[in-house]
Amino acid sequence: MRKHPTKTVPLIAAGIVAMVALSGCSAGGSIEPAANAKQLTGGTVSYGHQQEPACVFGGWIEQAYLSYQVLDNLVSLDKDHNIVPWLAETWQASDDQLSWTFTLKEGVSFTDGTPVNAEVIAYNFDYWAAGGNSTAAVWLGGYYESAEAVDDLTVKVNLAKPYPLFAENLTQSYFGVQSQQALETRTDEENCAAPIGSGAFTVGEWNRGENIILHRNDDYTSPPANAKHDGPAYVEEVDWKFISDATTRVSALRAGEADAIYDVPAIEWKGVGEQGYEQLKYVTPGRPQQISFNTAKGIFTDENLRKAFVYSLDRKSIVDTIGKGVIPYEGNGAVSQTTPGYSEKAADAYSFDLEKANELLDAAGWTERDDDGYRVKDGKTLDVQFPYSGGTIINADGASILQGVQQQAKAAGFKVNLIPIPPSAAASGKYSGVDGYDISVGYWTSVNAGIQYINWRQNLPESPNNWNSAFYNDPELEDLIVRANSAIDLDEQNALYAEAQEYIADRALSVGLYDRLSTLAVNPSLKGVWQESSQGGPVFHDAYFVG
Amino acid sequence: MTHTLSAKHTDAPPATRRRLTVSPRARSIVEKLVGAGIVLWGAATAAFLAQVALPGDRATTILNVRSGQTQLRTPEELAPINAEYGLQDPVLVQYLDYLGGLLRGDLGISYQQHRPVWGIISEQVGATLALTAVTLVLAWVIMVFWVTLTAGRGPRIRAFGSGVDTVTAGLPPYWLGILLLLVFALGLGWFPVIGGTGVNGIVLPALTLAIPLAGFMGQATRTEFERSLDAPFVLTARMRGMGDVGIRLRHVLRHAVLPAVTLSGWAIGATISGAVIVESLFTRPGIGSVLITAVDSQDLPVVTGVVVLVAATYVVANLLVDLAYTLIDPRMKNS
Repeated sequence: MRKHPTKTVPLIAAGIVAMVALSGCSAGGSIEPAANAKQLTGGTVSYGHQQEPACVFGGWIEQAYLSYQVLDNLVSLDKDHNIVPWLAETWQASDDQLSWTFTLKEGVSFTDGTPVNAEVIAYNFDYWAAGGNSTAAVWLGGYYESAEAVDDLTVKVNLAKPYPLFAENLTQSYFGVQSQQALETRTDEENCAAPIGSGAFTVGEWNRGENIILHRNDDYTSPPANAKHDGPAYVEEVDWKFISDATTRVSALRAGEADAIYDVPAIEWKGVGEQGYEQLKYVTPGRPQQISFNTAKGIFTDENLRKAFVYSLDRKSIVDTIGKGVIPYEGNGAVSQTTPGYSEKAADAYSFDLEKANELLDAAGWTERDDDGYRVKDGKTLDVQFPYSGGTIINADGASILQGVQQQAKAAGFKVNLIPIPPSAAASGKYSGVDGYDISVGYWTSVNAGIQYINWRQNLPESPNNWNSAFYNDPELEDLIVRANSAIDLDEQNALYAEAQEYIADRALSVGLYDRLSTLAVNPSLKGVWQESSQGGPVFHDAYFVG
Repeated sequence: MTHTLSAKHTDAPPATRRRLTVSPRARSIVEKLVGAGIVLWGAATAAFLAQVALPGDRATTILNVRSGQTQLRTPEELAPINAEYGLQDPVLVQYLDYLGGLLRGDLGISYQQHRPVWGIISEQVGATLALTAVTLVLAWVIMVFWVTLTAGRGPRIRAFGSGVDTVTAGLPPYWLGILLLLVFALGLGWFPVIGGTGVNGIVLPALTLAIPLAGFMGQATRTEFERSLDAPFVLTARMRGMGDVGIRLRHVLRHAVLPAVTLSGWAIGATISGAVIVESLFTRPGIGSVLITAVDSQDLPVVTGVVVLVAATYVVANLLVDLAYTLIDPRMKNS
């Protein structure tokens, strides 16, 4: 005895139709605050960030974003690329440029109650240089010698050679100042999860995998000179959520669950703007997302083959297509367009010229082609090993751009083997050695063109430099950069940096692809969020709600 | 006649075993415990060896992950890390150290978070267990409802019912999760987009995992369910005047769910380690994300700790499944 089973089918069908219909609705209504909205005090900023680091303070940009909220630096970088006071009120290089003197603000305390004084600053310098912050250590390497307290508020830093950009480099959050007492007496675990600084916020709790709650430092007295107001933050708390999925992040913003989000995907950028969210975009200075060639081993030891590869690419059209006008094309392989001392000439050195690429390859003896159109010489295919770290260094948009490179190089007969490598293999160094690749890709943020010193200094047994990803040892190039680093006159310095960029471009050691971005989208009911100028991280000290 | 164990037992043929006075129940418990121990040791060893066999150098990885780089490192840079974690010791020494720690209940210190692995796991395991439990309950509710509704009906409904099972069983969790998120969280606003650990926040992540699981279990249950519907005892029940729904729920279901119970044991373990997509989509903490992050950064103590935990969960889940069998089908007690 079956009971009218046929009724079930339409019922189920109706349910599915209803579900699909409902999905058409979206959180509508205006997000704009009323015209007469006033500034509110207090409240919690819900901020959706992407990646969760293991510790708050460290040498990775994701840590710099966080530690900026908690630690103060000696100096800050303003929008116009001027160094402005922070914990240090004044600073001065000696006449021989071999020592720097910083005079500290009076009466500043860490959140554990200990004073910010010259002795602590000197301690921090030694701590950074000894690897307490791996990236700070790289910036100090070769220049830093010692630091000493002259009196309570005056600290003197001694250098091995002149380094006019020294103070500018200290604006990066890798140089966040921590309480000496905290570093000396607390466990690694405590200093990892909740470093003690003198910053606008303190680390409240860290729910791993979920969020970090930052509490306002009610006694905050030391905002940088480029902050929009003095004194403690307006908001009471920042709920720094880790939302790794881009769709979820944008949805959280649209649903009103996040007041601000980081890293808006290119495909959502326009829509988010049209819906009335405030958008902030920061083009990271320093080394852009670039490809460098292995000049020590393999086919790209031949300069003409490097040039042939570059000529085979229409880099601008790839980046414009995939970046949808949000991601900027970058032609310069040494530094990005927002870096002081940027050379247009180096950026424009190569444009798409397939004919030239073919000529160069023919001249190099790669005259035959196999059935797939790849060039062959003496029975060997023109293979290019191209590993990249997907998901961390290269995001989804970046991976699409690399696929474009692969496609275009094929026309000239290059067989590009794009190898996405997992983070553990990338970090293990397996693909980093001279046998690891023909082409490597990656960026390195920096506030000036001094990044070239890190990326192009020679890798010699007595002074190793594994950051030279082209394996290009050239005393002439190193000398150019070293002279630039130590040039006291700004114009002279920029001219030398530009010369180095052109040197790199002329030899096709490295060419640019696109500039790395830091983007934010902010609900208009939250005002006063800005991006700090050394690395583009969000600043919440000046943020307040209106309503 | 004491409970003398292993040697005699394993060597003796089944016939002589019977003569020992060890009760079958006690023997079965001991066997299960020994089995569980072997499984845990095997899992720990496999996890350890897999980590050691990963390409590249562990100290380099630790340093690179700490600084967001992918470069080779100089011996001077690596020396302090090698010394701190004993990474240059012979693998056997490292392995014995590790096993010794495990026996003492010490899982070690995370290379990246600088804190005990126990702390990391115990902090995250609650959220994962909650998700697993709710997923399992939802999967069962959906599966029982759907199978009872559609199995053994007219040919069109039967086909439709099992078709839905097949489709849902194959739904990619990421796609399904995005769909649920856009419809029920962003569109209708019934649930939060950022799930977190709130009660309301668990529904969508659990549904994302439960719907494919329900389809999977439904496939296994449906055949058995339809066979039981034709069994003589169903006819008897009908003759007693029992209603269709009552027969389906009280008699037929009981016969049909054993395969699904078996699958549930597997599902508990799979959900614990495999929930990472859902965790990342709905921003939930959990063991899955901990494991992925740890593998990415070759954080060996964390990886092995989580693997041992998942293995332990499998063992416990399967013991529970065995127990559930006898509850559902009392005949099994003696078999």
